[in-house]
Amino acid sequence: MSLERPNDPVTAEVVRHALIALAEEMTINLARTAHSTIVYEVQDFATGILDAQARLVAQAPGGLPLFVGDLDAAVKDGLALFGADGFQPGDVVLTNHTGTCGQHLNNIVVYTPAFHEGRLIGFPVTRAHWPDVGGKLAGGFLTDAVSSFEEGIQFRSLKIYKAGQPDAELLRLIRHNVRLPEISFGDLRAQIAACRLAERRLAELHRKYGGARVEAAVAASWDHAERIVRQALGNYREGSYQAESFLDDDGVDLGRPIRIHARVTIADRAMTVDFTGMNAQVRGPINSGMAAGISAARLALKYLCAPELPPNEGCFRPLQVILPPGTLISAEEPAAMSWWQTPILTVIDTVLKAVSEAAPERIPAAHYSDISCMLLTGRDARSGRAFTNIEPTAGGWGARPHGDGPSATYTIGHGDTFNIPVEVLETRFPLHVERYGLRRDSGGPGRWRGGLGLERIYRMAGNGLFNGLSERSVCPPWGLAGGAAGRSGEIVLARVGHRPRRYHKVTGLGLKAGDLFTFRTGGGGGYGDPLEREPERVRLDVAQGHVSRRQARQAYGVVLRRNGEVDAEATAALRAARQAALAGGG
Amino acid sequence: MSARRPGLRTAVDIGGTFTDLVLYDDATGGVKFEKALSTPRALADAILQCLAKAEAAPAAIAHLVHGSTVAINAVIQRKGALTALVTTAGFEDVHEIGRANRPDTFNLFFEKPAPLVPATRRFGVVERVGPSGEVRTPLSEASLKRVIMQLKRASAEAVAICLLHSYANPAHEAAAKQAIEAALPGVYVTASHEILREYREYERGSTTVLNAFVGPEVNRYLTDLGGRLKAGGFSGVFHLMQSNGGVMSAERARQVPVAMMESGPAGGIIGAAALGRVLGHADVIAFDMGGTTAKTCLVERGLPKMTEQYFIGGYRDGFPLRLPVVDIVEVGAGGGSIAWIDAGGALKVGPQSAGAEPGPACYGRGGAAPTVTDVNLLLGRLNPRRFFGGEFDLDTGAAEGAVARIGQPLQLGPVEAAAGILTLADARMSFAVRAITLQRGYDPRDFAMVAFGGAGPLHAAAIARELSIPTVIIPPQPGHFSALGMLLTDLRHDHVLTRVTDFARLTADELGAWFQPLEEAGRAALAAEAHDQANVLLLRSLDMRYAGQEYTVTVPVGERLDGPAAMGELRRRFDAVYEQRYGHAGADDPAEIVNLRLTCLGAVGKPDFAQLRDKRIAAPAADRRPVYFAAAGGFVDSPVQQRAGLQPGAHVAGPAVIEEYASTTILHPGDRATVEPNGCLVLEIGAG
Repeated sequence: MSLERPNDPVTAEVVRHALIALAEEMTINLARTAHSTIVYEVQDFATGILDAQARLVAQAPGGLPLFVGDLDAAVKDGLALFGADGFQPGDVVLTNHTGTCGQHLNNIVVYTPAFHEGRLIGFPVTRAHWPDVGGKLAGGFLTDAVSSFEEGIQFRSLKIYKAGQPDAELLRLIRHNVRLPEISFGDLRAQIAACRLAERRLAELHRKYGGARVEAAVAASWDHAERIVRQALGNYREGSYQAESFLDDDGVDLGRPIRIHARVTIADRAMTVDFTGMNAQVRGPINSGMAAGISAARLALKYLCAPELPPNEGCFRPLQVILPPGTLISAEEPAAMSWWQTPILTVIDTVLKAVSEAAPERIPAAHYSDISCMLLTGRDARSGRAFTNIEPTAGGWGARPHGDGPSATYTIGHGDTFNIPVEVLETRFPLHVERYGLRRDSGGPGRWRGGLGLERIYRMAGNGLFNGLSERSVCPPWGLAGGAAGRSGEIVLARVGHRPRRYHKVTGLGLKAGDLFTFRTGGGGGYGDPLEREPERVRLDVAQGHVSRRQARQAYGVVLRRNGEVDAEATAALRAARQAALAGGG
Repeated sequence: MSARRPGLRTAVDIGGTFTDLVLYDDATGGVKFEKALSTPRALADAILQCLAKAEAAPAAIAHLVHGSTVAINAVIQRKGALTALVTTAGFEDVHEIGRANRPDTFNLFFEKPAPLVPATRRFGVVERVGPSGEVRTPLSEASLKRVIMQLKRASAEAVAICLLHSYANPAHEAAAKQAIEAALPGVYVTASHEILREYREYERGSTTVLNAFVGPEVNRYLTDLGGRLKAGGFSGVFHLMQSNGGVMSAERARQVPVAMMESGPAGGIIGAAALGRVLGHADVIAFDMGGTTAKTCLVERGLPKMTEQYFIGGYRDGFPLRLPVVDIVEVGAGGGSIAWIDAGGALKVGPQSAGAEPGPACYGRGGAAPTVTDVNLLLGRLNPRRFFGGEFDLDTGAAEGAVARIGQPLQLGPVEAAAGILTLADARMSFAVRAITLQRGYDPRDFAMVAFGGAGPLHAAAIARELSIPTVIIPPQPGHFSALGMLLTDLRHDHVLTRVTDFARLTADELGAWFQPLEEAGRAALAAEAHDQANVLLLRSLDMRYAGQEYTVTVPVGERLDGPAAMGELRRRFDAVYEQRYGHAGADDPAEIVNLRLTCLGAVGKPDFAQLRDKRIAAPAADRRPVYFAAAGGFVDSPVQQRAGLQPGAHVAGPAVIEEYASTTILHPGDRATVEPNGCLVLEIGAG
């Protein structure tokens, strides 16, 4: 039988499947055993296998999409520092270096070299969000930092184990530079265990099939992914397209908008994303590094061309990224990066907006594109223990060419990320939730309506230090094809004895028991002319409380009777008048 | 065992296509199987038809166990009751928000499932309870009255009530239920604390809504079926199969119909556990392969592994149901699974299935796509003239054509392509078995595999070989095994209570006291089912984690719970369970308990597997045909035996084929099969 040939399609498929299962097994081990909840609930982790040259062999589904296609940077730094023959079985390397990974310091990469019969066969890699890495604020996430030195301690490619032996001095250094060493070392243990497991499984695979067949299968899986992506690129009209958008500010130089720009060129079944027009790196902590900038383009490509395909090196072969150093998403040391993810979301949406010209039927309107995150620290009087609640909030997604946008779903950079249930939140933190619901009128009006954002109202049941971040008030989530923008997010603080005040960024504000704060998140953009939305759909939106009567009339030109039914005549007349006014007004 | 009423024990399993019936005669140990087409409009008809076909008078039946799709169909087809939801005011949208996650991660056009209860039928009542059960805002009578008005105006047929922290203090929920029931006679009302007392409002609410949504339909069904059985003279014990692998009374099913949602696959798993026990294997991998999927589940020390949550309609688009269910991993690889080439040119098998119509190419009913069944035929593993006992012939030419077409672009001949498809199908199923063993810290070499479902015995030996599982057990009538398994179940009720607590602060006395109300509830439920209290088994366990973690592992609590020593033992057991599952543990890290769990088992009289007697026929002469074995590098001339002709104690050495009605067992070179007295085939993999 010729099934014995080294590149036979059956073995290739079995090995490809085995490698993905291997990465999944790492995930099960890591995500469930991590000690910080953010790893499990927010899925703030990644696991994958790289080959001996740091090329992506397989990455597990699950984990943050933000991390698709950037695990290689960490290992490349190690290869550059230690050399290709600078690894021994049993080594464990740890890094969070902003210059390498381009993310906030809490994202700790741990990887190990895997060997079979004395030969380096690859690197299992994990990334997990540690709850603390030192710095001036517990938990990180500074809104006012202007350099990485304020944000915490940097580890650049440290071998914390050498040939299986832990380096007690390095570990001691780490232990005394993070605030919650038991939790961080619990996470570290989980990360090492996941890598060790993958080392064993990878060696088993080599033993079973032989190195040549495994490598041939990996090469075949890259070619396979590349073919799928190139084929999908054929669905987009060739040409060069550009789009821009803005962030409010960097949290330090308040009120100074930041420009996001992308030029996308599609030609010969390949895509080039040119970020040359991007804002220069900023003082505030919303920068990210080159690896993250490249990953943003890779993630956009994945959404566009290969939603079902487990990511590997081949997926990204048809992509060229032009990214000069020193921009917002290719910032250089010592740029502050606490909130690095926030701009990345808008970068991805902006790339998609550019591509919408190439294939209007394939791109939805903008989503809320914001982390809308609180960071609350304090001491819980019930237990006497310090607590930190880091909680992103979901929002609305853009309407589609043929349907309404989904409401209350985490961002394009999140994936299978879960909100914190009210009952869990109140058990764990001295907070009372007063309301948790969909935010009326937040979805961008359109023939298809944008999804709704959320409103979550909290009352402090003790004292705490509050940080909050809400973005995109200057440039709310845009509509497409005549659809209107969704409403922007906001934070409202109503402290006892003070008048309620609206904020977008809050840093280090002391709150007391009884103070109220509200997170409202943005809605998705609308798609198509709102005056063309079927009146029946608007009636239902009003009946369900998603749209107010006022917005029904003003944005959609739909008049409802007192009993909630559509007044067809009044609606037709109002819509005709609106259209005439628009036509007349040019 | 409780008192055994002599007579017939019957299980009826209503599936999507067929209704399966199994009859076991206590007196003779004889077993009889029947099948009828399911009648979706009147499910009870198929049951009565099956009984008539089996010539079993309802009056002669001592015990009837029933598994039904009535509840799950109502959800999948969204044909349940017009349901309303009552929540704490300000939290009406939790049911629509869900967990805000996106399982379909990279799809820009992902869909969030439309909620079962739309905003227009979700009503808030003013009240508030905190996480320790403390009342922050008393239940407002005025707002409750307003909600009742709204329920009336909405013409709700069923009402689900889920108030915040009701698991910790159900007083408000109970009061609301009482008022609503009094004001709306005839409306089906469910309060969340009656179903589960566990935190996480979305999941508890979803479970409650599902219960209300199917409640009226299940009640109508049980009334209809009960009436017709009674009219036929049935006066025996009637039990319904649950998703947790146990049974419950009809009365209980009327209150908690949601517990029978996923009862279908549970029967086979319970059967596998029981069969393993009889044959001396307490640790078993159940493997069930049918036409569209293969399912597998781990059984440890005689108990199937459970999971606390599953999704009706699938993880991507379904609704969470937070009740214990047999933990089954399923892959889209069955006899009808289609082989295809994806956009990147790679060969794939499943999850698309040719189904029964048009079916595999070899059925000759117009199916053009090559399936796993076609491949089995081409490779000599299936007999073209003995399919379903020879009810119809298989078309080898059609199978070859279909497989050849797919092999061509890959430069594979028909046999090579067929062998490749078989390898991929076996690999997919092996990954499923890996997922329940190696990925969870179990070594497959410590287990025996019980293989059933029409296609299970064809593929079991290859999967066992791949994972070094030493023993494979093939029960008699593998295609009917799920129904047979239903006869082996006990009454079972699971209770949970959330009490998030530092483990170090907890004493054995406190813990014992916390379990007390659960135990009372469990015993009361069994007593209500007229169960003999002498045969009750209570299994206590704790969901535990290290401080700061979210995910928990379940740790069994021993019989005795007294003094610090018992707590020390519990702590050690937690570390050990964790270590086994994840390969590392933190013996010095602080631990927490999250939930108390109690499983109440009421033993029910059941057939004795050891006494099972299969019908035998005179051994026909062995046939021979060439069968493909990858390890041998091609076709090997192999003996073909009829299973019914093999006497207890007989040995068969591989390579060999053992055929029976609706199933075929393959023995690879180096495997050996022995026939047990109860008719089981026991395969020793690689035994020579």
